Amino acid sequence: MAVPTDVIPRRPTLLFIVVLALLFVLMSFSQQTRYVGETRTMFERTVMTIFSPVPKFVNWLGGSAQDMHHGYLDMRRAVNENVELRRKVGSLTTENLKLKQSDGDLKRLRSLLAYAEQFDMQTSMAQTIMLDTAGRFKSIIIDRGSDDGVQVNDVVANANGLLGRVVLTTDDLAKVQLLTDNNCSVGSLIERTRRQGVVRGSGATNVLMHDIPSLADVQAGDRILTAGIDGVYPRGIPIGQVVRAEPGKSLFKTITVKPAVDFGTIEEVIVIHTRKIPPAVVRYAP
Amino acid sequence: MRWLRFTIGLLIALTLHSLLDSFYPNALAFFNPYIILVVYYSMGGNILGAIVAGVVAGFVQDAYSNAPFGLHAFSLTVCAYVVAYINSRLALRGTLAFGACLGGAVIVNELVIYILVNILLKQRIEMFEQALLVKTIFTLLFGMLVYQLLTLFLREEPIEATRRQATW
Repeated sequence: MAVPTDVIPRRPTLLFIVVLALLFVLMSFSQQTRYVGETRTMFERTVMTIFSPVPKFVNWLGGSAQDMHHGYLDMRRAVNENVELRRKVGSLTTENLKLKQSDGDLKRLRSLLAYAEQFDMQTSMAQTIMLDTAGRFKSIIIDRGSDDGVQVNDVVANANGLLGRVVLTTDDLAKVQLLTDNNCSVGSLIERTRRQGVVRGSGATNVLMHDIPSLADVQAGDRILTAGIDGVYPRGIPIGQVVRAEPGKSLFKTITVKPAVDFGTIEEVIVIHTRKIPPAVVRYAP
Repeated sequence: MRWLRFTIGLLIALTLHSLLDSFYPNALAFFNPYIILVVYYSMGGNILGAIVAGVVAGFVQDAYSNAPFGLHAFSLTVCAYVVAYINSRLALRGTLAFGACLGGAVIVNELVIYILVNILLKQRIEMFEQALLVKTIFTLLFGMLVYQLLTLFLREEPIEATRRQATW
């Protein structure tokens, strides 16, 4: 049976009124129960229970997002801290290296000073500023010159042993001919047997000791010192150690000596102001 | 299908409600996501469906607020009915029409709540006019944005867009 069309719109209105009335009753009931301690009706609880996954999910999502956010912030903080710590490590490493360098310098200078004190002659400290040990003519430049009292033929050594002698000075620099230079000759002796000879540079790493008779007692490992007989080098400065002693073609032995000083690592040196040679002779020094 | 979409919309509104409660506890004083859903649904012109939608959405809002249970259900049902009734006669369409319905619905909703609170709780709502203004503006802006997005992406008019004979 067909429903008259003019009735149809009224029914939703009727329903609407009924629903509103029911809601009002529900609301009133809900409001009254608040005063007797029961804050939630069963119907309200049911609705909450049905939809409870949504707030729970949102809460979980919010918690996770917050955790992520905090995690991200912590990570950013850690990254910044890491950068800062790396910078500090870099700075401390540099400082440590400087201190180690200073410590090494101090030890070296102390040993040099102690070594210098054994000479009764006047000494002064100098720094190597140029090093030419690769060519046939071996020399170094030191940062002390005639203004500092350095003169030609002053002996240069370090804590390990003899380096050479000054061959040229300017006001503030001096050139030192090294022991290994081809033109260098040093009056020397073998410490164990006191046998005297002459050490000459060969232009190579090692030097040769000449004028030792074939019958003389020389062994590998013997220490060679300056003899103090040449008027330039004072007595007792270590020159090196015999590495090989062979019978020569003539009456003398061929003795190879390894210098006591590693010429590649020279830094500070002692200049021993010998001044034993008259100035007239000095003028003709090489 | 339309009820499925309504349910999804209701879940989204509740999610928004929960989110705002968690992060901006005062935000719901200026914005009501449920009424957007109810108005959107009621724009279809189905009075019966609108009443049910208003009741259900209102119950959910009541369940998660501290208001007397049924207060929002009552006010939203009134709004739903009014909007659906108008649309069953005039078949309003478009963003501006939706905006007008939503704005009117927010005002009606707040007035109904104001009256009910006065009757039931014998309380006055402080700064009612200011709250009403702000709530209307924010809800209207957000609602129209949602409407635009739905129109753009779903390419459809409100649920039950085609005008139907009111039946039950």
